[in-house]
This record gives sequence, C-alpha cells and structure tokens, in this order.
Amino acid sequence: MHMADALVSPAVAAGAGVAAAALIGVAAHKVKTIRRENIIPLMGVMGAFVFAAQMINFSIPGTGSSGHVIGGVLLAAVLGPWAAFLTLCSVLIIQCLVFADGGLLALGCNILNMAATSCLIAYPLIYKPIAGANAGAGRIFVGALLASVVGLEIGALGVTAETELSGITALPTSVFLSFMLPIHLAIGAVEGVATGAVLCFVAKYRPETLTANARGAYDRGNRRRFRRLLVIFGAGTLVLASAFTWLASANPDGLEWSISKVAGLTEFTSKALPTAVMPEYNSTFAGVIGAVLVMTMLWAISTLLFHSLRRAEVPSRTKK
Amino acid sequence: MKTSRLEQAIFTLNARQMASEPDSHIGAIDPRALLVVTAIYLLAMLSVPVISLGMLIWFAVYPIISAPLAHIAYERLFIKSLYVLPLLVVIGIFNPIFDHETAFMAGNIAISCGWISFLSIIIRGLLSVQAVLLLIYVAGFNRMCEGLLLLKVPRLLVTQLLMVYRYLEVLLQEALSMHRARQARAYGKQSYGPRMWGSFVGQLMLRTFARAERIHRAMLARGFNGSLTWSRNARWSTPDTVYCTVWLIVFALLRYVDFSSWLLKLLTPMSI
Amino acid sequence: MAAQTLNTDVDMKDSVLRFDHAGYTYPGGYRALTDIDFDIRKGERVALVGLNGSGKSTLLLHAAGLLFATDGAVYFRNMKLTPADVDACRRSVGMVFQESDDQLFMPTVEADVAFGPKNMGLSDDEIDRRVDEALAMTGCTDLRKRAPFQLSGGQKKMVSIATVLSMSPDILVFDEPTTGLDYSARSQFIDIVSPLRHTLLIASHDMDLVRTLCTRALVMDGGRLVYDGPIENMPYPCNPSK
Repeated sequence: MHMADALVSPAVAAGAGVAAAALIGVAAHKVKTIRRENIIPLMGVMGAFVFAAQMINFSIPGTGSSGHVIGGVLLAAVLGPWAAFLTLCSVLIIQCLVFADGGLLALGCNILNMAATSCLIAYPLIYKPIAGANAGAGRIFVGALLASVVGLEIGALGVTAETELSGITALPTSVFLSFMLPIHLAIGAVEGVATGAVLCFVAKYRPETLTANARGAYDRGNRRRFRRLLVIFGAGTLVLASAFTWLASANPDGLEWSISKVAGLTEFTSKALPTAVMPEYNSTFAGVIGAVLVMTMLWAISTLLFHSLRRAEVPSRTKK
Repeated sequence: MKTSRLEQAIFTLNARQMASEPDSHIGAIDPRALLVVTAIYLLAMLSVPVISLGMLIWFAVYPIISAPLAHIAYERLFIKSLYVLPLLVVIGIFNPIFDHETAFMAGNIAISCGWISFLSIIIRGLLSVQAVLLLIYVAGFNRMCEGLLLLKVPRLLVTQLLMVYRYLEVLLQEALSMHRARQARAYGKQSYGPRMWGSFVGQLMLRTFARAERIHRAMLARGFNGSLTWSRNARWSTPDTVYCTVWLIVFALLRYVDFSSWLLKLLTPMSI
Repeated sequence: MAAQTLNTDVDMKDSVLRFDHAGYTYPGGYRALTDIDFDIRKGERVALVGLNGSGKSTLLLHAAGLLFATDGAVYFRNMKLTPADVDACRRSVGMVFQESDDQLFMPTVEADVAFGPKNMGLSDDEIDRRVDEALAMTGCTDLRKRAPFQLSGGQKKMVSIATVLSMSPDILVFDEPTTGLDYSARSQFIDIVSPLRHTLLIASHDMDLVRTLCTRALVMDGGRLVYDGPIENMPYPCNPSK
C-alpha cells in the first residue's frame, strides 16, 4: 500500500503533505496532554514493535499465501488514536528514509492513507464504539476486524484518488478501483483477524493495558472530538482540492492527459483521441539518446572521481 | 536455511547504520541543506511531465555527482535502487496497455506514448529512491533528525523517530530470538497460523510493554521530567548556502531548459 | 552548582538510606517486600543477594526512588521518600539497570551520558566536563560518538555506568551488573568500581564479585530480609528460611 514517488505529482504530494503535517501538529499537541506517565518510551518501543511485527508473516488458512499487519488499529487500541497516529507516522518515515520503502514526497499520501485512516477514522468511529472499555474477546475481535477492513478500504480509496489526481499512470480510475477495493477487502480481513488475535491475547493477559487507554484523557467529550476530527478532515480535503485546482491551472497538459485517458477507456482504442500528436516529439527520440549518452559519460567521470577521492582519502582515514 | 524477513530487516538496518559516517565531503553539509536540496530535487524531477522523457533523464546528474562526493560509487547506489523496479513495472505497465497513441517513430517502429511514460515512471522511481538513499547515507539518521528539529518539525515526532530507530534493532532481535525458539520446536512447520501468530505477536507486545516500563524507570532515575532534549550541533555556514544555491540553480535549469533538444540542435549541423 | 569533581570523597558517618519496616505490594496484589528494615551508612559497600524472585530488584527500585513503599517507609538522608519528594534521591542515587539496552535510550553514547546532567539543569560547559570525566573513568572515551547498537555487551555496561557517574551520585546501585558479561568485561567492571569511594549497593548472584567488592551483605528470601551482617558469614546460597 506504500505509494512510491514515481506515481505522485508534486501538487498532490504537497497537498497531502500539508494535510499530514497539520495532523502531526495536532497529534503532537494532543499527546502532550496524555497523562499516561510512560507515554514517550511506550510510543518509542511500540513503533519498533509494529515494525518487528510487520516482519513476521502468518499463513492464511486454505490459501497458501501469507500476510502481515500494518498495525494502525492495534496501536490505537493500546496508545489511543493520536499517540498511535504519531507512532505510525514515525514508522512510515523510518520506512521511507531508512528502508526506502515508499517515497519521500509521497510520505504525506502514505501518512493519510495508512496512519490517518486507521488511527483517526477506523479506530474512533468503529473499533471504539464496538469494543470500548471492558469489552469481551468477541467484541474486541469483531471491532478489530471491522475497523481494519474499513481503514484499509478508505486507505485504498485514498491511494486511488491520489494516484488518479496525479495523472502519472494511464490506468483508468474505474479499473484501478476495481483492483484496489477487493484486494484491500481481503487484506483488511487478514489484518483484522491478526489484530483481533493479538488484542484478544493482550486482553486476556494484561487487560489493564487496553483499559488504561480506553479510560485515558481522551474519553472526555467524545462527540466534540469527532466533530473536530471532521473539521480537520474537511480542511485536509479542502487543501487537497485546492492543490488539485492549482495543478489544473499550473500544469494543464498533465490534467488533460489523465482526463483523456479516463475518457479513452470507454472506447478502448488507440485512436480515441483527436491526434494532437505533438510534432516536437519526433525529434525526442534522438534527444533521449543524447541525454542517455551524456549521463553515461557523466557516470564514467563520476566513477573516476570516486576512485580518485577514495585514494586521496585513504591515508587520512587510516590515521584516524 | 532460508533467511526470514526479520533477518533481512536486521541486515538492512545494520548496513544503513554502519554506512552513515558523516566524514565524507558533503557529509559536513548542514542536514537542513541536505533535506531541502533533496526535497526540491524530488519536486523538480517529479514535476517533469511523464511524456518528456528527454528532460527527465538529465535529472540523473544529481545522484551521479553527489554519490562520489559521499564516498559511494554510483553503481552501488543504482543497484540498490533497483529493488523498487518490480513495483514500478507492475504499476507502470498499464500505461503502454492503455495508451497506444504514437509519440514518435524510431525508424519504422512507432513508439507509443504509453511506452514513453512507462520508461518515465521507471526513471522517476529509480531517481527518487536514489535521492532518498543518498540523503540517508550522507546525513545519517541522527543528524537528519537534528535537521528536522531545526526545520521546526514537532519535537515529539523527532523524539519518537529517534526512539523507534534506537529500539528497532533491539525489538527485531527480540522477535528473531523468539522466532528461532519457536522454529527450534516446530518440527519443520514453517509458517504461523493466525492463532499462533496472535499469541506470538501478543507475547512480543507484552514484552514491549515491560520494556517501555523499564526504559521509563531508567529515564526517571536520571531526572527525566517529561520531555527529552536533543543536541543541536548544526551551524549553518557559507558552504551550506553555496551547496543549496548551486543545486537549486541546477535543478531550475534542468526543469526549464530542454537540454535534449538543445544538444540535438548543437549536434545536427555537425552530423550533416 | 560549583565545578565540583565527580564524587570521590565520602564521609563515613551518617545514614544515607534507611528502610523502616518497609513493605511493597504491586498493583496486581502481588506482595514483593515484607517488613524490610535496614540502614546503610555513607561509604558502606553492601551486597544484596537472594534467589530469583526474592524481591531484590523491587528493593533496588525503592532505593532509587522509583517505587514507593506501601507499608512502612524508606528514608533517603533521613527524609521520607514520597512521589512528591524524590528529586534529591534520584539525583544522588545512580542506578545501573540490569539490561543495558533499557538504560541506553539515547542515539549516541555522548548524548546518553549527558542525559542526567542535562536534566539537572547544568551549564553546557559543566555537562561537557562531566561527560569527559565519566567516560574517562569508565574507559569509554573512544566510544563517545558511537551509537548503542555499535557497542558490545561489555561496552554497553561500562557506558551505562558512565551515564550514572556523570550525575555525580553519592550512592551507586547495581542490579545484576555482571550478568552476561564475559571474563574480561567482568574484571574491567571490578577495576572500575573498586577504586570508587561511593556508597555501593550491589544486587548479584555473582558471589565472587560481591565478596571482592562488598563488606556487608543483605540476604533476601521470599520478600523478607533474612540476614544482615558481614559478608563472610553470609548464609547464601542455601535457602535459610525453608
């Protein structure tokens, strides 16, 4: 579900980035008010925990395939929504910067699609009403399952919307959606079962860790919180929408291009468009070859540079 | 024995941690400058329309020149970035499928816009991964976090990043030793069923809670008062300004000047 | 605070840590300590021994002001320890935890050693000086810029000691300091600790170690103190109460 830089346009990335940054700002503010004493080390190690848990696959009975968790609902059930959001953001940032998983510009999109949906939408609106304080294993399981499915479906919608708005891929929206939604329904179900299994285990052996959160500072004024949440998301959407309009005016060919692709689907032929085939592209071929040649030369020079720098460095390095 | 994903993650992490020595030529550059240059590079490169392949390729200048300055052979960076290729191909392949419009003729073969944008997606993907890898290699994670702090990223998030990074290896090792202990008694059964997985990960989670409690005590014992302070050694100096300015000018040129057609015009009279 | 060197000169007279019929019950209802009564004077070197689960670690957490007695009381320099009144104790008691990974939570050795002094509100110069000195005392000067994951188990333990020495504590509390250390790291530990003139409280299963470093022993069993006296007459490892 990680989006790569290659598929987002700067306008969409910037819009999503602003929305994500705003949410991070709110979350940082909210977490400071949490009265749980060890929240800082707990968030730190829980982030590392989610990372480790993602590396442990489990087999899906009867299919021979395997899955792993993203962990948004799991984190939210233990830490509360805002702390979980911040924790998941840190995991996404580290995945991007250290493991180059998901792009740096696409980070905003990834935070919205994965962290915000599960921690700030699915958890408070679905998991918590179903499996509030002192729920039994059954309700915890159902809550985790539904919340994971909904979170991932909304995330999949987000991925589709952001990709299509970027207009990099020629894949028509309807086709893209018909791929994304069923796949993420299945992934969500798997994630939900896994999350449910872990939460039931924890509820059995250390129930106080789950109730500590359910009783936490957040429980005051539930409704007000949801309303504020809606406002934040409204603002985020507005930002995205305005970014979209900006894209439309700043980069008309990009937009036209993607719209024409969507329209082109209905006819499904190569000659769907009036051939406004750009005449200047006839020379492009040679231009591309030229650019490749220059870059290859530069590469060769850089390799020489690298080796000469290395050689120059060796004495000073051994001295250390 | 097949290496598990856990082991692979530990290998990658160790490689990254060991690689980040800030004693290369551009390692002395302020982390803020590195972050800003990387971000602007990505913005400029990704804003090139996918059809303008000729323009896009020139953006390889940045990693090709920066890599040796950071003591990395560009080949190595290039090869490391190739692991995103499968993902890029899977997503990019729809472009030639849905877009048959002819972009230009190479001899007798019509090249469609779909294939051009397919190549574009691949190059965009590779270059953006290379830029990010370069950032982490040059700056190192800790200095990068320092840069983020100086760029007014909330301190809580930076604290969180450093804590997660600190305990990533510890938790991965813990999970790995649990995994091995289980493996040793699994009699060849490799995978976890959902229930088994639930108690395995649940177990890991309880250990994680206990660890958080112990760390918290260690913090309190040394006077922790609710927030961690991080050192800020970075000082912005003239080389940082020069570094930023030079690259920003280069990126602007790459973005707004079509060097490919310029090169073509330059070469055409010669070839005739 | 004036530029005082790390505490090396300790007076032998007054009580620094006193348990007055202290008991502790964990929130879950588990009774870990019952009627603990002893007094440690300045400069004393005390070993705390007992089987696994006998309450040693819980007792150490009380000594470091991290847990508070549910019955009786614990006094630090004749001042009763309560959650509101614990700062002086935490500053003066340097606790080295069993697992170094829990103790070293900062990104670099240097930052970790500076953590305590920073929280004490010292000036930057003073912090630097203390970091230098603590690293020199533990032989970790070369590790200064390293990250914790680049250290061996023995190095981690030495750095852990440096992190508390930099706070210039009066009392050093060690929880199982030599567990998991190899022979050379263990002797390095002894070399570092034996010249120190701090009050020492060491919980350990390593009988040779405590016989080398300590003069007095406290033996625990089932949450109770069953022996308090010279280390030579210590009844460990037999189980005296059953």
